[in-house]
Amino acid sequence: MSSKEELLKRLSDGVVDMEEDDVAEAAREYLDAGYPAFDGIMEGLVDGMNRASELYEAEEYFVTDVLLCSDAMYAGLDILRPYLPETSSEEKVTGVIGVVEGDTHDIGKNLVKIMLETAGFNMIDLGRDVPLAKFVETAKEENADFVCLSTLMTTTMGGMETVIKLLDEAGLRDKVKVMIGGGPISQKYADRIGADGYSQNAVEAVKLAKRLLNIA
Amino acid sequence: MAKIKIRQTGREIQCQNGANLLDALLEAGIFVDNPCNGKGICGKCKVKVMSEGVSGMTALEERLLKPEEIEAGVRLSCMAEVTGDVEIGLLLKERKHKVLTKGYVPEFERDTFDGGYGVVIDIGTTTVVTALIDLKTGEEIANASMINAQKRYGLDVLTRITYEYEHPDCGIQRLQEAIVNSINGMIEEVCLEANVSPKKLREIDVAANCTMMHMLLGVDARAIGRSPYKPEFTEAKELLAGEIGIRAAEDTRLYCLPQVSAYIGADIVAGAYVCELEKERGNVLFIDIGTNGEIVLASRGRLWCCSCAAGPALEGMNISSGMRAAEGAIEEVKITEQGIHYQVIGKAEPVGLCGSGILAVVKELLRTGLVKKTGVFVKKEKLGEQDYRYPMLRMDGTKREFVLCEKPEIVVTQGDVRHVQLAKGAILSGFAALLKQAGIRMDELDKVMIAGQFGAHLPAESLIGTGILPGEVEGKLVYVGNSSKTGAYMALMSEKVKREIELLAGKMEYMELAETENYERIFAESMIFPG
Repeated sequence: MSSKEELLKRLSDGVVDMEEDDVAEAAREYLDAGYPAFDGIMEGLVDGMNRASELYEAEEYFVTDVLLCSDAMYAGLDILRPYLPETSSEEKVTGVIGVVEGDTHDIGKNLVKIMLETAGFNMIDLGRDVPLAKFVETAKEENADFVCLSTLMTTTMGGMETVIKLLDEAGLRDKVKVMIGGGPISQKYADRIGADGYSQNAVEAVKLAKRLLNIA
Repeated sequence: MAKIKIRQTGREIQCQNGANLLDALLEAGIFVDNPCNGKGICGKCKVKVMSEGVSGMTALEERLLKPEEIEAGVRLSCMAEVTGDVEIGLLLKERKHKVLTKGYVPEFERDTFDGGYGVVIDIGTTTVVTALIDLKTGEEIANASMINAQKRYGLDVLTRITYEYEHPDCGIQRLQEAIVNSINGMIEEVCLEANVSPKKLREIDVAANCTMMHMLLGVDARAIGRSPYKPEFTEAKELLAGEIGIRAAEDTRLYCLPQVSAYIGADIVAGAYVCELEKERGNVLFIDIGTNGEIVLASRGRLWCCSCAAGPALEGMNISSGMRAAEGAIEEVKITEQGIHYQVIGKAEPVGLCGSGILAVVKELLRTGLVKKTGVFVKKEKLGEQDYRYPMLRMDGTKREFVLCEKPEIVVTQGDVRHVQLAKGAILSGFAALLKQAGIRMDELDKVMIAGQFGAHLPAESLIGTGILPGEVEGKLVYVGNSSKTGAYMALMSEKVKREIELLAGKMEYMELAETENYERIFAESMIFPG
């Protein structure tokens, strides 16, 4: 029998090493031994994902490495999550995320979503090529705290400005922070269209969200 | 305003005082050879200055020009500023003795012509290639190539489409004028060289990517730039050349080859036709490597195709010491225990790395274990000071980089390797997705045909060594050259070919990669380098 610490390390290492099957196996052993699912997620899987993002920041890992790490993390999460005690998601800070209308490139957006989820945010993913009004409707329905907009193409950037306008018209602009990112996006562009923030990559996006929402 | 008078033609053009001479000439559609795109590297954009009216000779020109040229008033137009009215003599570009590779041309039945001439044009986003054909003999009697003058509206198709979005009143018109001017300049050049009057041109045949074709014809290209990426037209077009402002005879015809979709243009249809993919019995893959990698898979009479955004890294752009394949570009690299060896175009001092150079470096870095399969540089401390690779790596803060050359300094950064890796991942993922669609394994491929001027410079060992193409296709590569231009040539020479190409375009099945199931996973796996 492995100790709790050993199993947590296996979960964490499995995520860092992108070993989906190892993580799933360790998660089952962890549950069989009767340890709490919550610790397994936070001190095992999320810890591994945090280590992966540190490696990403140090240029040791690349976008696709982190995606493979997250596959491993989700494999463990699928097993552990059903054993979490009931909690309401209302306590969580909620964000809406998507790729703006006209663009179907979503790898960057997916990575940002994963990082924000790992950091404890409740993320509602609208997918790609999302009609601009949909961002506003969802933010309203879900009582969201922030909206994340992404695009890889210069031809569709303009949609971000429209979303900000629509939020304004719906009277939501004061309640909802807007973060933007993607290949052709810059801080300068964010300033020009009146977005609250820009982040260059997924790890920075987490820091930005925390800063904008005053979360330690 | 200043006037520039062209001695040979007597034509006068206007430009701002202080304008760059090369830019002014190109803008007016006058052909000046300029492979390095006005960077002062290649020394090819020579003109003879016959009067006052340009800025003084620069040190760079003194180095690149021969004393007798300087004596005769020759200048590099990219280095000269127009300071007042001036008279210029154009110099015919130097004729290289090596025959330009025509690439593979299959046997086909030519129509009979009693005389006259034709022009074939391949419009790439970066480069435009033109050839003058003697219709009676079918021979190419002159050719020219130049940088696409639309470059001032953006280097890639999306930026140019964005220009149309941002300038709804004049964008389409300006982009059309730019390319038509380039074409007029080149037609003038090839006709002058072969001593043929443009009035004797019967037909001009054009192959291009879909965006370039829209822009040439002055058709709104904006829909190409947004999902669902639907072009305004895909069919072949026949009109009079004069209708879009091409200067030839009144009845010169213009034929534009057919296309498949927004990202599979006439250039790829032409390539598929030239390579006779439809007739192949085995499993054949056709790939045109460039900023966009277009791939066609032929299997049992069906043709699937897709396009992947490789980015400009493989052309030496986006790379910290990247440059075009001009004099001074490192094009080949070997790393051995004795040190680093490289080969420079024009046997000159190294200036930077061109596309084939950056691929060669990455291949060598992988082979020697300096870069690991995941694309990250090996840790310097893991090598040990005695290791021959130890001094080749350097730390820039916390980041590792490879010192290819110390003087002048040329380094390959982690970011550079990542750019190549992204390009490799994009192309290989397209490759893998098509094979999956057709239910074929890599090892069941019988042939891989590499098209495009750029692909022609990439040796098999670089393509396979960096994993752009999988190891399974080793020994199965065939280089077909500029098959886009060849396709336009065949269309010019035969009405039957035109009809066959049109039928072929209708048969090609387009697959949108981003919508492929599990694409993200295929992409992530395709990013891993061989090792």
